[in-house]
Amino acid sequence: MLRYNLSTVLLLLIAFLVQQFVPAFTGLSHARILVVQLVFLCCAVTVTTPTMLLLAFLGGILWDAHCYLSPIIADPEVYTQPVESLRFGYSILLFGVAGFLMQGLNPIFRQGKWHFSAILSGIAIFLYLAAEFILISFIRGEFTISRSILRLMFYTSVLTMCVSPVIFWILYQIANLFDHPLHPEARNSKRR
Amino acid sequence: MKPLNLLALLLFLAGATWALTRSERFVRDIQVAYFKIINPTLTAGSALETKARKFLDETENSKSLETKLNAINGEIGRLRIIESQFAALKRENKELRHALDFKKATNFDVVAAQIIRRHPTTWWQTMDIDAGEDRKIGIQLSVLSNEGLVGIIDRPFAHRSSVLLITDEKCQVSVRVEGTPEVGILSGQRGKFDNNPILRLRFLSKEASLKAGQRVFTTGRGGIFQSNILVGTILSVEKGPIDSEALVAPAVNFSDLGTVFVVLSETP
Repeated sequence: MLRYNLSTVLLLLIAFLVQQFVPAFTGLSHARILVVQLVFLCCAVTVTTPTMLLLAFLGGILWDAHCYLSPIIADPEVYTQPVESLRFGYSILLFGVAGFLMQGLNPIFRQGKWHFSAILSGIAIFLYLAAEFILISFIRGEFTISRSILRLMFYTSVLTMCVSPVIFWILYQIANLFDHPLHPEARNSKRR
Repeated sequence: MKPLNLLALLLFLAGATWALTRSERFVRDIQVAYFKIINPTLTAGSALETKARKFLDETENSKSLETKLNAINGEIGRLRIIESQFAALKRENKELRHALDFKKATNFDVVAAQIIRRHPTTWWQTMDIDAGEDRKIGIQLSVLSNEGLVGIIDRPFAHRSSVLLITDEKCQVSVRVEGTPEVGILSGQRGKFDNNPILRLRFLSKEASLKAGQRVFTTGRGGIFQSNILVGTILSVEKGPIDSEALVAPAVNFSDLGTVFVVLSETP
């Protein structure tokens, strides 16, 4: 179990490297496959709560290091209404919430029904992006949601969800390698 | 809840609070360390993206050429391919000459850079360029193209930098409208992911007498952008009870941006 958990941490770090090779699909409202979030969500459903929280912390802090914008220091007499940024570290909480959401399907996943988790990963990505957008709107004011934003969130979620079977397959391979059963309940029912 | 899970949750919340309360300097150090580690893959990823973009461009060209080839005989088609290749070279040559002229004509001390990555994040309108601290690039320097203002340096690293585009809501520019006393603050609009996004010019006077087509230039106030840099042209004006707002089309075609110039100082 320890070796499997360490592997999920390693897999998350590899996801950050892979993410650099994934461009935005300009034809699909600049949607992209969020490999990091997907790996985290898929891992979250296969590990215990403490490991999930460790992954959420690690994933969140590195994701913010990747995306965080520096504050713009300008003359306040000219720029009287500076545009606020989300604080560094907010993604940790978003990862944590998304992880708990995935763990809600853990009993079904343990029965061998990974398909539900794959679908939920798409929903979780959509909710993650929606939460991020709401946070930006809350901090900057003027909540407006346009079709292009909805399209971006939808396409990103769908594209990312389509890759989830690959991630689950990798997780199954790792689990087999370290003899860590991901579906103990399914195995028990088969034995019976 | 199991005691172990509760303990893990408390530790997680403590960690999140720790991260949320870090200073800008500490965050910058984390970012520098992070990008230092992933730099090899970042470079490879950028190269792959550039190749993919070129490949897609080539594919588009091939499709249009194929249509033409079906309409005419093979010989003319072959000549047209050659002609198109010449046209591409001519266009590239013209672009490079234009860029070179810009560098010669500008009053600024500039560093030329190539775009290596577009929109690396979900929500922010940013791009990466292939010049960094090794070429004296620092934070908050203006980035121009031969068409006008592009954005500002958000994060400089050793050999690359991240540029916040003027199409992002966070990038605000103090501007004036040509031929009028009107000054205002220009910024991008949230969630506009089109190839040619429209900018929003706010805080104009209530009686602002503007018309479509008037050009918008930087004022040079605010300590970030130099003065008299072309930003865009007015598209429409909307008068409100307190002030007026205008929509501005950026002078720069962000979907077809290759070479940019980072302004190091105003003296060449």
